[in-house]
Amino acid sequence: MYVYDQFDHAVVAARNAEFKDQVARRLAGELSEDQFKPLRLMNGLYLQLHAYMLRIAVPYGVLSSAQMRTFAHIARTYDRDFGHFTTRQNIQFNWIKLADTPQILEDLAKVEMHAIQTSGNCIRNTTTDQFAGAAKDEIDDPRPWAELIRQWSTFHPEFTFLPRKFKIAITGATRDRAAIRVHDIGLQLTANGFDVYVGGGMGRTPHLGHLIKSGVPGEKLLSYLEAALRVYNRYGRRDNIYKARIKILVSALGPQEYARQVEEEWASLDQAKIDAPYAEIARIKSFFPEPDYTAKAFDAAALDRAKAADPGFARWVRNNTLAHRRDDHVSVTISLKPTGLPPGDASSEQMDVMADLADDYGYAELRVSHEQNVILPHVAKADLYDLYQRLDKTGLSSANVGKITDMIACPGLDYCSLANARSIPLAQDISKRFEDAGYTDKIGDLQIKISGCINACGHHHVGHIGILGVDKQGEEFYQILLGGRADEQAALGAITGKGMPAEAVPAAIERVVNLYLELRTDESERFIDTVGRLGREAFAGALHEPA
Amino acid sequence: MKLLTANRLTDGLVLWYRDGDDLSGWTENAVDAARLDDEAATALLDVWKARETLLVAPYLVPLVDDHTLVKREYVREFVRANGPTIGQTALDTAKLQNRGEVF
Repeated sequence: MYVYDQFDHAVVAARNAEFKDQVARRLAGELSEDQFKPLRLMNGLYLQLHAYMLRIAVPYGVLSSAQMRTFAHIARTYDRDFGHFTTRQNIQFNWIKLADTPQILEDLAKVEMHAIQTSGNCIRNTTTDQFAGAAKDEIDDPRPWAELIRQWSTFHPEFTFLPRKFKIAITGATRDRAAIRVHDIGLQLTANGFDVYVGGGMGRTPHLGHLIKSGVPGEKLLSYLEAALRVYNRYGRRDNIYKARIKILVSALGPQEYARQVEEEWASLDQAKIDAPYAEIARIKSFFPEPDYTAKAFDAAALDRAKAADPGFARWVRNNTLAHRRDDHVSVTISLKPTGLPPGDASSEQMDVMADLADDYGYAELRVSHEQNVILPHVAKADLYDLYQRLDKTGLSSANVGKITDMIACPGLDYCSLANARSIPLAQDISKRFEDAGYTDKIGDLQIKISGCINACGHHHVGHIGILGVDKQGEEFYQILLGGRADEQAALGAITGKGMPAEAVPAAIERVVNLYLELRTDESERFIDTVGRLGREAFAGALHEPA
Repeated sequence: MKLLTANRLTDGLVLWYRDGDDLSGWTENAVDAARLDDEAATALLDVWKARETLLVAPYLVPLVDDHTLVKREYVREFVRANGPTIGQTALDTAKLQNRGEVF
């Protein structure tokens, strides 16, 4: 993992001291709420429906066990004993007191964390593949590049007040697990450099990003990004918040013209002053070595016996582990989607347990995925059964990764002041409807994504089944979208059928799923493939109860 | 009829105006909120908007009668008044909505 140098420490300490003073002045009445609001937002502090919410950055989703323990400490000491992992690979605490915030930020700084770049119209926390540095299908490790972008973008004087927030995602694998096509800038790391996609995004006007440049060399990445941001900063629609994201600019100019302007800008820049020298790139890369893998004798027959004796373990291995670049290791996803509980929530006890397990089995490293789960990227196969049994004691052994109950859901109207409808109770109902493991496994890979408003924090546009909560004259209604996907074949779902009240949604989804089971060619044809083959309309009738 | 509500500056918790002219006259329990006629509500809102060291973003919630919110604000204010509904099923909550009462 990256380790702060004196500049990182100094930057965070200075920001914390500044915010501590701002909080004191607000509490003393020296700052009005209008004056204070942009200051607190720049430090990740929102005022939601019920309380202040603090969003803490987990840069590119990478966490140490010590950092996870600090989250447990914050949950226990300053919040209501739980935290919520988000679709930006961050964590949010929902019941924070304003006066406690400076101390929380000091606690975070001790483990090299902060809440910078989690709000405001700046370049937000860069996200990436949760299996970076571990996945068998990886071409190159995106983490050093994400760290380079973090250092370049933090407090970048030109890009602190952009027309709107700006999100960058990177993947270094053939399979896109970072949803790069629905980011303002998506970077695909290839053997020949970076392929740059621009203008993707969700919200009220979803767009897929356009490829504007292939093969940008790593050592030129920052100057190219700077050029892309400059064109956006210059021409982005500051006059209309709904048209201020880069996707609108790219759409208005056309991707080719936008790319031409970026090229022109890039050529005009003094690139040598912007791009990191080789030595710096090498320095950053040195923080992401291969773990010092422990040589543990792996007995495949013993693993098979454990799976045969414990079907729950067998299912967990099948669904929650991913092939690792080393044959004697796997990556393990700890599902935060137990039946009937809010997706992405973890208690302080569970956070402590995950930290302990990372120490005991995972080289002290964890990841947060944008699917709101926690990952141990490097686990020896020899340790799998011990790990599973310890997870099971703490309610963390749900074996549903990638399945219909592994839903993304935004906090919705239960917490969020922007939401129009609730997301979490609906996710809870759906997970109860599909709690039968045999049924869920029969359905196979299926991603449901739920947003409580058009801002799409729950990624409903790219759910195989997307659910959008809307306010219909004072009542919550839910529109169903079919056919979205966020992977390397990214596609936007489309609203299918008529909206419905919350209590009708689980049954509607079950009818759609059962129709899929009837229509699929065989078990290898996933839900999204069947929708692609037959079209969304083939499923529209199933959404509604037969008259 | 209206209710006056805001978030407390120090912890952000939802408060409802009951009576008086200091923070002790505000309650976290919406059941105890004062039902204000429109004129009194508007005057009180102006008073409390000026007291930013205690509250954040006070505003008025319109009521149909002593217990029923105007429909459009229903879900949001229901959640604000009662806290997150997580744990209830959507069906449970829908039944509560049909009851038509806020608290």
